[in-house]
Order: sequence, then C-alpha cells, then structure tokens
Amino acid sequence: MLELFKLLGNKRLFILLMGLVLFIGLMGFTIGPRTTLSWPEKFTRDTIGFVQYVFYRPAGYIAGFFEDISTLRSLYEENEQLKTALAHYTRDKAKYNYIEQENERLKNDLHFTEEQRNKYNYEYRIAQVVSVNNDPNNRTLVIDLGARDGVKQNMSVTSAEGLVGIVSQVSNFTSTVKLLTSMDAKDPNSKAIAATALGKENDSFGMIESYDQASGTFIMTKIKETDPLQKGDTIVSSGIGGVFPRGMVIGTVVSRQVGDFGLTNTAQIKPAADFSDWKELFVVFTPEVKE
Amino acid sequence: MAMRRNILVALLFILFIIEGTIIPWLVPDAWQTRIVPHLVYIVILFVAVYGHRHTALVLGLIFGMIHDVVFYGQIIGTYSFAMGLSSYLMGLIFQAPRAPLPVMMTVVLLGSLLFDGILHALYTLFHLTDESFDFAFVDHMLPNLVIHFVFALVIYVPLRRQLEMLYRRRRASREDKA
Repeated sequence: MLELFKLLGNKRLFILLMGLVLFIGLMGFTIGPRTTLSWPEKFTRDTIGFVQYVFYRPAGYIAGFFEDISTLRSLYEENEQLKTALAHYTRDKAKYNYIEQENERLKNDLHFTEEQRNKYNYEYRIAQVVSVNNDPNNRTLVIDLGARDGVKQNMSVTSAEGLVGIVSQVSNFTSTVKLLTSMDAKDPNSKAIAATALGKENDSFGMIESYDQASGTFIMTKIKETDPLQKGDTIVSSGIGGVFPRGMVIGTVVSRQVGDFGLTNTAQIKPAADFSDWKELFVVFTPEVKE
Repeated sequence: MAMRRNILVALLFILFIIEGTIIPWLVPDAWQTRIVPHLVYIVILFVAVYGHRHTALVLGLIFGMIHDVVFYGQIIGTYSFAMGLSSYLMGLIFQAPRAPLPVMMTVVLLGSLLFDGILHALYTLFHLTDESFDFAFVDHMLPNLVIHFVFALVIYVPLRRQLEMLYRRRRASREDKA
C-alpha cells in the first residue's frame, strides 16, 4: 500500500494521470448534446474559418479548371441529356402549376391556418464550403454561414444533388456540418431520417439510420414486407421525424433484402450527393414554429 | 532564436490550413476518406526527435485542440489527446539530436500507426464508430502511412537543418550559463 502512495509521489506519473482524467472529462462533456459553444471555441472557429476561406476558394478554382478540361469531351453528351431533361421539366411545369393552384384553393376552402400553410415553405440559403475534414470517423465540413445569418443546430444541408448532412455546431460566422456518412444507429446523438420513395409517398416508409463505410451505402431499415419499394427508386425524406425537412433527395435503392429478424426488410441506398469536391451547399431554413 | 521558433509555429499553422483546404482537392474522389494525412503531426514528430519531447507534447495538444474545435462534429479532445500522447511517447523513446534518416523514418511509421490507432480506440470507446480495427487498418491507416512517409522524406532535410539550428543554439546558451 505504501509503495502505491510512493508511486503517486512520482510527479510525471501524477501529471500524466491528471491529464488522462481531464481529457476523459472533456470528451465526456462535449459528446453530449450542446446547444451553444463557449466564446474561446467561437473565436477560434471564426478566425481560423476566415483564413481557411482565403485558401479554399482559389484551390477550388484551380482544381475546377483542370476538371473542366478533362470533362470537355463529355460536354456535348451532357448538353444533349440536359435538353431532354428541360423538355420534361416544361411539360411537368404545366401540370405542377395546375396542381398547385388547386391545392391552394382546397387549402382556402378548408380554412388552413397561416402556420399550416407555411409548413413546407422552405428557404434555401447558399453557403460556401470553407474547409473539409475527411477523417472517416468524424467527417465534417465548415461552411461560411453562422449564427449571424440565422443558422441553428440540426438544420439540414444539401448540395444540388441531394442531402449532405446536418449542422452540428454553430459559431458567429461559420458552422460545422456533420456529414450523413457518420450516421450510426448505436450513437444516441445521431439522428435517423424518416424516408419514403419518390412517387410512392403514401405507401412506402423506412428509417435511414446508418451508413456502411465498406459498401458506401446508407442502410434503410424498418420497411414493411408489403411495401412497394423496389430497386431503382429515388428515396426522399418524408419529414415525419421533424428534424429533416420533407422532400430532401437522399439516394437511389441499390438492393432490398429481408432484415436481421425476418420481420421487416432492409434496403441499401446509394447516396445522391457524391461527398467530394465541395463547393456550394444549401442550408435549409424551415419556417419558425411559434412557441 | 525566438524568431525561428515563431516560424516553426507559423509553419505548423499553415500546414493545418492546407490539410483542411488544399489536400481534399488533391485526393481523388474515390480515396476521399482513405487518405487523410496529418501533416502537422509529422512535423511535430520531427520536433519530438530533434528537439524536445515536452515541446512536442505542448504543440501536439494545441494543434490537436484547434483541429477538434474547428471540425467539431461529435466530440472534442480526441485529436488533442492522440496527438499529444503519441508525440510525447515517440519523443520519450526516440529523442536523439543526431538520429539518422532511417531512425526518423521508423519514428514516422510507428508514430503514424500509433496516432491512428489511438484515434480509432477513442472513437470505439465512445461508440462513435463500429468499424473493426482490421478494416480501419486497411481502409485508411495504411494509405495514410504511405503518404506520411513520403511527406516526411520530402521535408526531412530542410526541417532537420532548421530544428538543429534552433536547438543547438539553445543547448549552447544553456551550457554557457552552467
């Protein structure tokens, strides 16, 4: 026993142990849900965010220039595809306008409140990526919108292709986006996405809870056996969970099989966003809910 | 001498900025999560061997903490802890002002594995990842190891000269006082 106390008399060992305890305390404290950051954290993030912004944009331009040269050949093909897509859009637009007006009329007839009307009226605000952390365990981005611009924790962030992640921490001028690839069913702070298939919104439902690093796909669970979901469907968020807004494109179904316990089915979803070459992203502002 | 030390810190800071802004553009799309080089850490390893392990410990803690705070996804402290501890340990074992190239490269290889290993252990401890060590080893630790090795080879000559100048003068001035 006495020898044990003598061991504690060793200054170096004592400092080492204190450091260990301190760090475990720090990690335990920061892993829980934190709503605001302390001012040293905000200060560090904003100053370094500014410096990173100066570096990231020119690098992006140069990389983009070389990419443009390499894709020059496929430009003609892409143009052809876009023309077809545009023709589809103009046709759909006529249909959409008609449905929207009818929807408006019905809402009026049913006396919808202002809040109910604006529920799905999202605002997309463009944000520039400032820096990227590709650590597979903690993939994050820093964007140049912060608390000053009204960004709040847990807002969804999408690229032009599809849902990318959610805002994990906000400081005054920058905020950190946690990418969907770090979703994990076991992590209590990770938020699952209630999802459905495009065109089958009323019949299809499942939860996207985790990302499989090895195959590079999201795992969608809790799909009913009678669900019409099939390979090739586009998966969008259903907005039921409350965190993710409605209608965010997530990906396409690669395969569907019977789940772990045989009661429900599981599907693998290939992400729509390609999670590389980050430039502009959109933060989705949902309308304020009055308390 | 104070000037040179400031340049060292500035170099580390610029490397940190490059890690987050320019490296992602250089890495091919398919390898985005597989090559995540920690250039700052490699320079700190040089400080641990040719300078002093306590300096390396403090630098590791500070720059790890900056990384943690800027890229705060789920947890703060993992990078700081891993960088501080592993650079201190490497300094404790290998600290030698006259270490030749092969020894330094061994330090870089071992240190890189140690760092990624500690990170993986921490994330597993807090249930933030469920990938096995074997998978993580092949997936990103080995590619990182190669990149770290190449980077260390590139900076070996200039960095060692600068560090030797910095520490020789300091050691000389200490001897003068004694």
